[in-house]
Amino acid sequence: MTNQPLPTAPLARYLLHLADDQLVMGHRNSEWTGLGPILEEDIAFSSIAQDQVGHALAFYEYLNQECGLADPDQTAFNRPESLMVSSWLVEQPIGDYAFSLVRHWCYDQAVYLRYESLSQIQDPALQALATKLRGEVKYHTFHANTWMKSLLQGSEESRLRMLTALKEVWPMALGLFESWSGEKALMEQVGHAGQPWYPGERHLQQHWQAGALESLVLWSVDVEALGLHKVEPVLGGRQGYHSEHLASMLEEMTAVFRLDPQAEW
Amino acid sequence: MYGGGYIPAGVEETKAQAESPELLAQFEARITRGEKIEPRDWMPAVYRKQLIRMIEQHAHSEIIGALPEGTWITRAPGFRRKLALMAKVQDEVGHAQLLYSAAETLGKKREDMLNDLINGKSKYSNVFNYPAETWADVAVIGFLIDAAAIVNQVANSKGSYGPYCRALERICYEESFHLKQGHSVFVWLATGTPMQREMLQNALNRWWEPIMHFFGPSDTMSQHTETLMRWKVKMATNDVMRQQFLNIYVPKIWDLGLSLPDPELRKDESTGQWLFTEPNWDTFFKVINGDGPCSRERLAVRKVAEERGAWVRAALRRADARYATPLA
Amino acid sequence: MPILSLDPRVNRLQVEQVPEHQPPVLVPGDHWPSYQVFHQRRRGEKHSSVGIVHAPSLEMAMAMAKEQFGRRGETSNLWVVCTADVLEMDYADEEVFRTTPSKSYRDPAGYKVNEKIDAYKAKQTP
Repeated sequence: MTNQPLPTAPLARYLLHLADDQLVMGHRNSEWTGLGPILEEDIAFSSIAQDQVGHALAFYEYLNQECGLADPDQTAFNRPESLMVSSWLVEQPIGDYAFSLVRHWCYDQAVYLRYESLSQIQDPALQALATKLRGEVKYHTFHANTWMKSLLQGSEESRLRMLTALKEVWPMALGLFESWSGEKALMEQVGHAGQPWYPGERHLQQHWQAGALESLVLWSVDVEALGLHKVEPVLGGRQGYHSEHLASMLEEMTAVFRLDPQAEW
Repeated sequence: MYGGGYIPAGVEETKAQAESPELLAQFEARITRGEKIEPRDWMPAVYRKQLIRMIEQHAHSEIIGALPEGTWITRAPGFRRKLALMAKVQDEVGHAQLLYSAAETLGKKREDMLNDLINGKSKYSNVFNYPAETWADVAVIGFLIDAAAIVNQVANSKGSYGPYCRALERICYEESFHLKQGHSVFVWLATGTPMQREMLQNALNRWWEPIMHFFGPSDTMSQHTETLMRWKVKMATNDVMRQQFLNIYVPKIWDLGLSLPDPELRKDESTGQWLFTEPNWDTFFKVINGDGPCSRERLAVRKVAEERGAWVRAALRRADARYATPLA
Repeated sequence: MPILSLDPRVNRLQVEQVPEHQPPVLVPGDHWPSYQVFHQRRRGEKHSSVGIVHAPSLEMAMAMAKEQFGRRGETSNLWVVCTADVLEMDYADEEVFRTTPSKSYRDPAGYKVNEKIDAYKAKQTP
């Protein structure tokens, strides 16, 4: 894949956004395995990380079989940073547990909306895949909601940490919904019910934001005081522009693979 | 995964006699009949103490055991290996959770066990005090250390304490996945490029002594364990388990054309026993006493993990929480 | 000085060696109370006790139980219940059940009629 250009077909490009996000998010979340705040949570969070890497694999497999991309290992482990189309949110280091949880909460709600929409697509294989994967993300959102609620209503320290993380995460979470070149064309695709299945990034963002803000208000977060309503999204990921963290993450992730990219590991 | 290398303190049976000869007789008769001891049964204080000590060491070995392989979790090559290693290290944490729960039924709280781990008061398997230098170390740990752990755990799962046996039943099932995935990485490297093969041979050379240490010193060097064996706390001698391990796994290593760094290693066909050079037991005791290549790092990492999680746990601690000893 | 590790994750944590006289890192109650977990494999089967999780609330216990006891094989449903709410019978009282298996009048096996019927039939045959 190193020299392979990014796919131009809108659906392939959209699936690559999903796959890259899931891969990078799963990788970051796996950094907590064995180092989590309590054994039970260590296990739960590791499962979520595994799900995410698994979802990335499922989409790369589809892209390989149906859209002519290289095989999943080459696509994921042998591609320069500038050809990665993941968002800034997922590539950030894990931070403290508040940062990782708030990111997880923002991220998985967005994924849930995307899978709901994808499960309306005409292609029966993708439809089935989105429906299957959505079940796992349902647990992710249950897990994330339980933690958000608990820690926002926990101690003074935990509330402060969660609010600080919210402020930090929010602009990058909005960046998950960066508009992209094939968006319009994909919005015209008709799904299995005869209606367009993909509502476009702006609509997804509005839907996501309404849901997230509603929960925050329910947990007594003053979203205006926090300034969440007037932040600018952090963009660039979908076009291959990344923060300094992605390159070092990829270097680490591919360290063994690169010893011999053609070898079987 | 667990190391043997567990060294029980000598058991003074006379103390158990002094507690209540009548209850002791009932307790021993129950074990002889093959029945399990359950948490709230009467049991000799030394039985309780030894079990806590053993299950706790086993639990510590799992949580610390997540670290050497965790070293490679962000670098596993390719999806198959990445997912498998994540799941495997997660299982180690899961096993620790199950084992701490089993130990808790005997009356020691999880917080106390973790404190004793961090301050060095309580031990864990020596094998996890060695570094995982390359990706091939993941293969050797996943295949051979897990294999050794299975020999040990299958034996222990037939012991007398109910909650420990139940935890081990599930653990052994999951360990068989670990062994398979470890063997798969091992075989892929052994049959791969010259660079991969060399990487594996080097890892094998580095790990052979810790593996030979794994089951603990020869029984002739160990303290008296007859009582513990009669009470089905200790289920097989160190030598028996080591022989079992060598018998199954050495041929599998040699089959792949790999070598082991012990010129004396061979099976004596007349006795069926494996002959080998005694590993350096001074090193073993040095490592057990906290002077292994990674001993300090392992404890420091565990401490930092607990410290970094402290605010999370404290935020959700409630003054009116009702703690009860787990029923397991 | 932080420990230099082979694990890049550990290096990012900037881990310092544990001091010689380390005071307890965990305080009493640090790991929360325990909840008993019951697992149902498939609809129609019964829930079985599978172990415990430590958690700060019922809801969190469920979130934790799902992965510790449902991450392999089939699961259809889970129950969690606070351990402190369970009353356990004392094993020392196990003898209250000792005679139960011998109460044959409560078991189908306690009612054998075939011999009677056979004998009756034999008598009827000329």
